[in-house]
Order: sequence, then structure tokens, then C-alpha cells
Amino acid sequence: MSIVLLIVAAAVPFMVMPFYVRVGQLILLSAALGLAWTLLGGFAGYWSFGHAAFIGLGAFSAGLFETELMKGQPLLGFGLGLIVGGVVCALAAAVVAWPILRLRGIYFAVAMLGVSQVLAELTNNVDVFKGSMGLVLPRIAAFGLRPEALFYDVLLIATVVVGCIAFAIKNGRIGAGLMAIREDEDTARMLGVPTERYKIMMFILSAALTGALGVIYAHSLGYITTSSVYRTEFSLNMIVYNLLGGMGTLVGPFLGSAVMVILTQVVLGRLLSIHMFITGALLVLLVLAAPKGIIGLFKGGLFGGRAKG
Amino acid sequence: MSTPILRLEHVTKRFRGLVATNDVSFAVPEGSICSLIGPNGAGKSTIFNLVTGYLAPSEGHIFFGKTRIDGTPTTQLARAGIARCFQIAKPFADLSVRENVRIGALFGRDGARDIAAVTDDALALTGLSDLAGRPAGDMTVGYLRRLELARAIAARPVLLLADEPCAGLNATETEDIVTILRLVRDRGVSVLLVEHDMQAVMRVSDQIFVLDAGALIAAGPPEAIAGDPRVIAAYLGTEAVE
Repeated sequence: MSIVLLIVAAAVPFMVMPFYVRVGQLILLSAALGLAWTLLGGFAGYWSFGHAAFIGLGAFSAGLFETELMKGQPLLGFGLGLIVGGVVCALAAAVVAWPILRLRGIYFAVAMLGVSQVLAELTNNVDVFKGSMGLVLPRIAAFGLRPEALFYDVLLIATVVVGCIAFAIKNGRIGAGLMAIREDEDTARMLGVPTERYKIMMFILSAALTGALGVIYAHSLGYITTSSVYRTEFSLNMIVYNLLGGMGTLVGPFLGSAVMVILTQVVLGRLLSIHMFITGALLVLLVLAAPKGIIGLFKGGLFGGRAKG
Repeated sequence: MSTPILRLEHVTKRFRGLVATNDVSFAVPEGSICSLIGPNGAGKSTIFNLVTGYLAPSEGHIFFGKTRIDGTPTTQLARAGIARCFQIAKPFADLSVRENVRIGALFGRDGARDIAAVTDDALALTGLSDLAGRPAGDMTVGYLRRLELARAIAARPVLLLADEPCAGLNATETEDIVTILRLVRDRGVSVLLVEHDMQAVMRVSDQIFVLDAGALIAAGPPEAIAGDPRVIAAYLGTEAVE
């Protein structure tokens, strides 16, 4: 059943107009990013306000690796680039994890915002990183696919992979431990949950997956600068998809990203001058009406099940 | 005599100038219920925080069985078999009663276990089986205390620290908690209790340790403590004794 669904989803780009393929790409990318974010943010309650740091870091580390070391082998370069982007982000997360995961709540969120700004500035101002003049990524073409169809399918695979990882974590022992951390970290410690280890593991995993997604995103753009990958908007959207869909759930990021992308790109795409205004207003309404996200609406009804402080 | 399950040796904890516990030594025999009593500010909570690794003593040592544990991280102590119920019940409000208890079973003391069986057993022991599906956030104080106990029991402790499990409960609810504590003890779990409800303390304790202003002023079985002039003085003032 789910395999049939996947094959149909994979075949979508060959049946619809290129514009809708891009909308599909964006929904998949957003859902996957939302899922990667929620490993720490939704499951453990540590909201990062700076996950764009890992999109940018992944994109630039893989981009530099591919352009400097993998000349003439675009496809292999891309494959290895995914690993490079993921590993560099994992290492960066491991370095900052110890100091910043001691911060709780809003302090952690703001610290991540800071990390993101610092990395963006470094990429922009240190010439080796080519952040200000930009980086042209090797064009990858495979199986004779059109680029948008190719990236759609790559993102589809990536989303499935991230989804499976998130599912395994949420339903495992570690998922229960993360939930305990989210609900009350002191009690979690008292019950023997290895809180420090779990938080660091999730932070690193979340960063690595976000980094790998950043690599795919960079390739789908073809040319990147600091401002095209280190986008604060990304950091915020990852939270919004989860809030909108249902924080801490697996379906939430899918619902949230689908609603947001369709709303901003399709429904309001023709009202460019006011579409952000309308989007903002709708978001406020949705969050007020469904504090536990769209998924919460099905469980608790309108204005019901308000999240506890 | 066998090694006590918990032993404090000359434990002093200072917060800058303030001495919260002053040269406190006592031992909890294995398989007993011991109570720590004393007026507010006597240092009872500090001792709990020291034993559970939230604080490290300024001086002195704490032994869990034969192992020295002062300064050991909380998580590690939980995995060694020390569980604690909080004074202000801290349930995971968004989760069901069963899920709350299950987290205790999933983590807690190291070793093989059947998660579902441990969970069901802790729910049954605390009389929460019928409420297992309810969200923990919707429960009354009396039931929250039981949940707090159930979660700690599911962690399969060797030593259970219960911080005022009867505070704010009526007589019937207090009776239920006392029964649960006895059942826990009968399974071989040692219990250290902090409690203000003296009736409950007198009935349930094998040993009582009395703290006043950070120092241990008396220790012994309930009968001895009840008549001890120093204890009466600490609670009611010296005039009451004279």
C-alpha cells in the first residue's frame, strides 16, 4: 500500500507542469526539514531558532568539497557531498552541543540563533568560503531526468529516509526519554533518563540530517550565496511547519509544510504584494484556533486541547 | 549487622554563608522505612538533594551500600537504584497515567525487565490500574501522589526517597500512601521518607532521624523519638519542655 503510494509520488513530476513539480519539491524539502528539526525541537522540547545554520554549513561544505576535490565527477561528488555536508554539520553540532545544550528554553533558542548568525558571517566574510561571491555547484544529471524531476525524486527519497529515522526514534526507548525531557527534565534525570546524552545525540543527528538536506537544496538551486542558504526564514519555517501541523508529532511537519507551501506558493502566489501579510494573519488565526496544530484539531476539536504552559 | 543501604558520614552542605546541613551522620538499614523529620528549613530537602546527586556535599561522604556516591550525577544514581518522589508532584501532564509509569519502567535501575509487566505491577500496587488511560494532567492531588510513587516504583529502586508524599492529603488518602509505602518496603525496597504528618511518620517508620537547623538532634525508633525532650523543644520551643 505505502509502496504503491511512493511509486505514484515518485511519478508525479512526469505527469504535472514544472511549476507544480517545484511546489512538490518545496513541500518535500520543508517536510523533511521540519522532521529533522523536530527530532530535538518537537521530541525533546529544545526549540532551535537557528537551524538554517546547518542548511548553510551543509550546503557550503559540500559545495566547496565538490568544486575543489571532485571536479569532473558530479554524480559521485553529489553522493559524497551529502555525506560531507552531514558529517561537517554533525561535527559542528558536537562542538557547540556541550555549552549550549546546558541552556534551557528560550536561552537555547537564542543561542542557536547566534550560532547561525556567526556561521553566516564567517561564510560571507572569509574569502575561502566564497559566501559573498557565490558558489556554482556541479550540475548533476542522472538517468536523463529533467533537473526539477530529478530533485523532486531525490527529495522524496530524502523525506522518506528522514521520516523513517524520526519514526524509529519516536517509537523507541529514546523517544520516551526525549518526551520525558520535554515534559520535565529534572524528573527525567531522576528516573534515570540519560538526558545529556540523548540531547546531544538528537542535536547531532538533527544537524547532520539538516545539513544533508541543505546539500540537496543547494544543488537544486545550482548557485548559492550566503544569503540564499543561511536564511533566517528557514529557521523560522521549520518551527512554523511543526507548530502548524502538530508539535512533536510525525505527521505535523507534513501537514504544516503542505498547508504553508500551498498557501504561499499556489493560493496566494498571484497576490505577491500582500501575500506575506495574508499568510501572517492566517498563521495567527490557525495557531489561535488550533494550539496543538492541525493534528490536534482532529483530536481535540476547534479551540480545544490548548497546550499547557 | 549488614551494610546499611544508605549512610551519611559527617555531611555538611554550605550555600555561601548559610549552613544547610551541619555534620549530619545517619544510616538507613536495608529493607526499612526511615523518616527524616524536623521543622521547615531544618535541611531535609537539602539531604534529599545530596543523596540524589542534585547537590554535592561541602564536606563528608555519602555511601549507597558500599559505594561512595556524593557528587555522582543524578542519572547514574537512578540507574544504580535510587528513586525519588517529588514533594510537588511532577507528572508528565500531557501523557497518560500509564505512559508516565512506563517511562519509569523503560529507564530507572539497570537490568533486564519486562516493561509492560513492570508498568502494570506498579499501577496495581498504587491502585491506579483503572485510571491508566487518563491524562496525568487531569488528576487530583491524591492521585498525583500515587502516580509519583508508581513512576518511582516502576523504576525498580533499591532505595526510594519520598518527599512529603502525604502533604495536603486527607486522612483516607494518607492511609493509602502509608499502605503503599509498607507494600514497597515488604518487597525489600528501603524507604527514606520526609514527612510532616507525624501520625503517618510514627506509624510507618522503623527509624526516625530528627533534624533541626541543619543538625541531627535525635535518632531512634518512633517510641523513643516521641518522648525525646530535644525533639519536643525543636518543634514546640524550649518553653514547652520546661
